[in-house]
Amino acid sequence: MAELHILGQIVGASGFPDHSLFCKWGIHAGGAWKVLAGLREGQTQVDNPQNEDFAVWAHPVDVHFATKGLQGWPKFHFQVWHQDTFGRNELYGYGFCHVPTSPGIHELECATWRPVGSLREQISQYFLGGGLQLRNPDLVYSGVDRYKLHTQAMGKVQLHLGLVFRNFDKYGMEC
Amino acid sequence: MATGDSSVFLLMLAGQIEGAEFPEFDEIFCKYSFVYGQDWVITSGLEEGITQIARRGAAAERGGFTWNFPLDVTWKSTNPHGWPQLVLSAYGRDALGRDVARGYGVCHVPPAPGRHRRRVAMFVPESTSKLQKLTSWLLGRRPEYVDPCVVAHGEGREVTRVRSQGHVAVAFDIVAKDLKKLGYDTSAQGLALPSETVTVAAST
Repeated sequence: MAELHILGQIVGASGFPDHSLFCKWGIHAGGAWKVLAGLREGQTQVDNPQNEDFAVWAHPVDVHFATKGLQGWPKFHFQVWHQDTFGRNELYGYGFCHVPTSPGIHELECATWRPVGSLREQISQYFLGGGLQLRNPDLVYSGVDRYKLHTQAMGKVQLHLGLVFRNFDKYGMEC
Repeated sequence: MATGDSSVFLLMLAGQIEGAEFPEFDEIFCKYSFVYGQDWVITSGLEEGITQIARRGAAAERGGFTWNFPLDVTWKSTNPHGWPQLVLSAYGRDALGRDVARGYGVCHVPPAPGRHRRRVAMFVPESTSKLQKLTSWLLGRRPEYVDPCVVAHGEGREVTRVRSQGHVAVAFDIVAKDLKKLGYDTSAQGLALPSETVTVAAST
């Protein structure tokens, strides 16, 4: 079986309306892919930056995949949350990005969005806080059922990945 | 030089911790240590070290510290999983001369041959409760990690709250041996070349 190592870091995020951010992340892959070692989901630390508009998560990623087929190439999905001074969490953004299909070192930026509700929901959100969430978070990395959803652009999640492929050429895969 | 085991590859790192930017502090030193998986063994070089205590240059722009501290390590391994990570922890002196953590940071040793530079963002843990904040303020002891190597692990991170400040600049020069022979590709150019396992498989 061809093998793929994803080594790297979820570096952090910028461009969100407030600080004190953390991120829940996961890697979604098709049925032909198996995780041999490493964590495929997690939650980062909460960072409140001192000087810059950049939340540092420095969350290490080291996953070893084996695959029998190319369908369902792995992708990262993110949920960025904001933690306020009372410890309440509010959703700030959803996003996904594919793992690059070439070996080597890659710097990725994943733009995120969040759902926008009706005017009434927006007003109550403004005064009470608490973001709207998707009932089905799979929507983040699937293209079906996205229509009719209203969203708003949020910040960007930064990733630094080093990809090591094994035996892709042996099985005739061209990346 | 032939290694006895055919499933082993070597990773050589030559590099340096160049320096740091910490706009708020005047004296900083840095500890480094490498964190790697079970399949990895250091064959030469130092797993951890401490830099000199650097003071900001007189003419340098505000924030610049220089360590120019060498990193020379070689590993051998059978599996890229658990690829080494460089854990940095920066310390400074407070007004009473005690060492205080000024930042922790982590980055992977780049998994590709060649020269790489990294600007590692540093962060310090924060007290999670108001009571701890008060006691740490009264005693002048800031929270710090008992083992800085927790920053190299993905588990249990959700319970920590941090405040990021400053950066450390690190340069890496990477050479790998036998990675391609074992079928591993670390660059798109390498994938175009047939690996040795292919020719072996074809001839048998």
